[in-house]
Amino acid sequence: MISRLLELFLAYEEDPNVKLVMLKGEGRAFCAGGDVVAVVHDIWAGGWRAGANFFMKEFSLNYLMATYSKPQVSILNGIVMGGGNGVSMHGRFRVATENSVFAMPETALGLFPDVGASYFLSRLPGFFGEYVGLTGARLDGAEMLACGLATHFVPSAKLPMVEVALCDADSSDPVIISSIIDQYCEKSSLKEQTVYNRLDVIDRCFSQRTVEEILSALEREVVDQRDGWISATIQTLKKASPTSLKISLRSIRVGRVQGVGACLTREYRMVCHVMRGEFSNDFFEGCRAILLDKDKNPKWEPSKLEHIADTTVDRYFSKVKDEDWEDLKLPTRSKFNLPPYVIAKL
Amino acid sequence: MEQAFKRTQILTNHLLQSSPSSQTLSSNACLSYSPPELSENYAFDIKDMRKLIDRHNLEERDWLFGLMKQSKLFNPKVRGGKVFVSPDYNQSMEQQREMTLKRIEYLLEKGAFKGWLTEKGEDIEMRKFAGFEVCSIYDHSLFTKLGVHFFLWGGAIQFFGTKHHHDKWLRDTENYWIKGCFAMTELGHGSNVRGIETVTTYDSNTGEFVINTPCESAQKYWIGGAANHATHTVVFSQLHINGTNQGVHAFIVQIRDADGNISPNIRIVDCGHKIGLNGVDNGQIWFDNVRVPRENLLNSVADVSPDGKYLSSIENPDQRFAAFMAPLTVGRINIAISSVYQSKVALATSIRYALTRRAFSLKQNEPEVLLLDYPSHQRRLFPLVAKTYAMSFAANYLKMLYVKRTPQSNKTIHIVSSSFKATFTWNNMQILQECREACGGQGLKTENRVGQLKGEYDVQSTFEGDNLILMQQVSKALFAEYMAAQKRNKVFKGLGLEHMNKPCPVIPLQLTSTTLRCSQFQMDALCLRERDLLNRFVADVSKCKAKGESSEQAFMICYELAQDLGKAFSDRAIFQTFVDAETTLPAGSLKDVLGTLRSLYALICIEDVSFLQYGYLSVDNGANVRREITKLCTELRPHALALVSSFGIPDAFLGPIAFNWIEANAWSSV
Repeated sequence: MISRLLELFLAYEEDPNVKLVMLKGEGRAFCAGGDVVAVVHDIWAGGWRAGANFFMKEFSLNYLMATYSKPQVSILNGIVMGGGNGVSMHGRFRVATENSVFAMPETALGLFPDVGASYFLSRLPGFFGEYVGLTGARLDGAEMLACGLATHFVPSAKLPMVEVALCDADSSDPVIISSIIDQYCEKSSLKEQTVYNRLDVIDRCFSQRTVEEILSALEREVVDQRDGWISATIQTLKKASPTSLKISLRSIRVGRVQGVGACLTREYRMVCHVMRGEFSNDFFEGCRAILLDKDKNPKWEPSKLEHIADTTVDRYFSKVKDEDWEDLKLPTRSKFNLPPYVIAKL
Repeated sequence: MEQAFKRTQILTNHLLQSSPSSQTLSSNACLSYSPPELSENYAFDIKDMRKLIDRHNLEERDWLFGLMKQSKLFNPKVRGGKVFVSPDYNQSMEQQREMTLKRIEYLLEKGAFKGWLTEKGEDIEMRKFAGFEVCSIYDHSLFTKLGVHFFLWGGAIQFFGTKHHHDKWLRDTENYWIKGCFAMTELGHGSNVRGIETVTTYDSNTGEFVINTPCESAQKYWIGGAANHATHTVVFSQLHINGTNQGVHAFIVQIRDADGNISPNIRIVDCGHKIGLNGVDNGQIWFDNVRVPRENLLNSVADVSPDGKYLSSIENPDQRFAAFMAPLTVGRINIAISSVYQSKVALATSIRYALTRRAFSLKQNEPEVLLLDYPSHQRRLFPLVAKTYAMSFAANYLKMLYVKRTPQSNKTIHIVSSSFKATFTWNNMQILQECREACGGQGLKTENRVGQLKGEYDVQSTFEGDNLILMQQVSKALFAEYMAAQKRNKVFKGLGLEHMNKPCPVIPLQLTSTTLRCSQFQMDALCLRERDLLNRFVADVSKCKAKGESSEQAFMICYELAQDLGKAFSDRAIFQTFVDAETTLPAGSLKDVLGTLRSLYALICIEDVSFLQYGYLSVDNGANVRREITKLCTELRPHALALVSSFGIPDAFLGPIAFNWIEANAWSSV
């Protein structure tokens, strides 16, 4: 599917008849993410390079979408997780509905929020990005709109009308497209228990320098106010792969001050190290426990945050020491008239 | 004819610009912004280069950048689709001061200052340096308020105080339960600390020191933090015990209570509006026989017994004063190393701008030329990049010297920090001015940062030691080294003067391109100048003294040579750190580019008028040097973007003109 999307997007960019690209899912999901099980099987069969190949294609597609010279409208009517975010969040317009469920759940799997998440999560308000990336928290459509992951909220019943209106307008102008979608938007209210009302706690805790300090800060909050949500957050963090937590935090922090190309290049290095299992096998253990055997009881190794040195985390960010390995080569974009909102991401 | 001309122009733009896609004809005839990332290549890994010049605590820096970027307190603004953070300098003096304090409170709450006074060791010292460097990129007022509180007040407690002071004050300082300031400078005495006029006496009946401002020139002046917020201060004062003036000592005095009321017998007035740095509340302070307990004397070097006897382990008052003042070096180091970062902000902004801004065509119907494609523009900016890289390496050397300090290395640290502080801050102001001009009118816009930095940072050349005085101290120290070496059988040791022990270097008659780029030649030339000027300086000073002048008078008379010698020492010492950094690299494109930069730095030092004045270079060779500089600038053109991207300053902390300046100023953005 990644290869097919790449083909199509490349073709559409050159085709003057294509004014905008709309992406939507079939069924109850927009896209639940990459087929991680297939990647694992590929690696067992053909070595880590087979997995790397998949990610290389996927991140190239993500970059192409992030720097696309025409607007992309993604209709997120359902689950949008992991790789599904990679093919939607980088586009100009993301339309959420009452059915949307967003998540970047990679840390529970021994991976890390990739597909350029270190770019888009780090740019959410305050330290919400760290919270979402480390805990894999689920967000609904209203929450997605509130924090900026979605640009519009349209009730699912009106989606067909949006599609028709956009096709009729036949325009590439983001201002026109936005005002068309606006016409079908409805006010979405945040639910009472929304995490978005807890931004003060999130900022206090998830701004801390290290994962250990984030956990301590959360534990201090629980002492002050016995709070189910904070306890649940602590539990989620404790169940995630410690290595994943550390590299995810660093990835988001570094990504906050980098352009989207640099983020994807860096994430590619990280994912190659993960697949090579150089410092930890958590990715394979996570897939086994959650996706294959489904016992939901992964045995992480290293099992404790304290056992993971900063120097180990450093190594995930360095080049892979292999003759044949190369840094991610991003498609050239210089010959296109890139719109300002794309230029701002570079 | 006009029609045809216009038509040809439009067609030319089509062919030279972009894709035949959906844009209408009219927009193609306009200038459009093309980000430099798309047309320039990186010949080396900018992450590796950043690691080389920032050296330490990269992760901490990025975290701190993120803390500032993600908070509304740091005044985020969207320009051209990107977020920029920079203080609102349009606010009143009072508002700017409140914002500075609020920002400090935010960073404090996030744990940015954890361990800054209560932890010991090299790690925390390096982390503090990195933290200060990042704060200085955002705002000088933030940097200065923090510097006064942590390095001056906090440093005074740490280094001038003893255990009971540490126990009582360090934790409270680190947590900002008290706010400290540093009352040393007076209206009549700044650089000459020994001449200050505040007087303290001891009352053995009550066991108290009595601190007094005897006359108007003795009032404390420019005391950062004093006008609005500080609760405590370290007062520097002459100490009179039993009728004898024992010299300058330091005392802790509370100047405000927790509610902000000024303490009794203390008068404080605001110094007023400044040309920059208005986020710092500088105050004037008068002490009217203020009484403090005996324990408030910071007694690491000297003490007073309860019954009023003066005690000190150092007999000689000059040595005692030197030992006393030694800890202040870290403040000077902090200013030197952070000044390099303003140069980086200015250069990153102006070079990125010059990579996207065009002016004048060379031929009709051709597109206008990019600013950075003009050799004259390259000549303005690339030598400044070379200087900034040189200063980065020298700054790292200075930091290492400091954190690995021993009692024996204190003198070296004092001299090197004096030399570097003067050189870096002077360079900084030169770079800011040039970059402001290179940005044209846009350089006047406050939000573009470069111009505003000039006013904010101008003070660097005169505070923490006036630059001219610091350089004079350097030349005096070199004189003393010369004298000491004579006693040691003419063997020079320390301060990099070992080259004096070798035979005098010789400059070849014919300076070819290869020779000019050779690091050995470059070092020889700089060492030759330092050696010759040191010899001349010693000779002239000795001649004066032989005529009966005192040392001080002789130094005063020979000030021109002193200045030239100070510069020669600084250039050579900084160049050495550049060469040392280059040798650590494996062969490759990074090392090649750094080598070109290194040559450029060396040659602009050698281009200095002193080489012709004192005859180290012939007029012809001087011309060869200048020609080579132009060649080097041309060679560096392809690396311009990579070199400034390696500074590692996030986009949000540069000026909007470094990015899509057309969109930033578009009607739709208003």
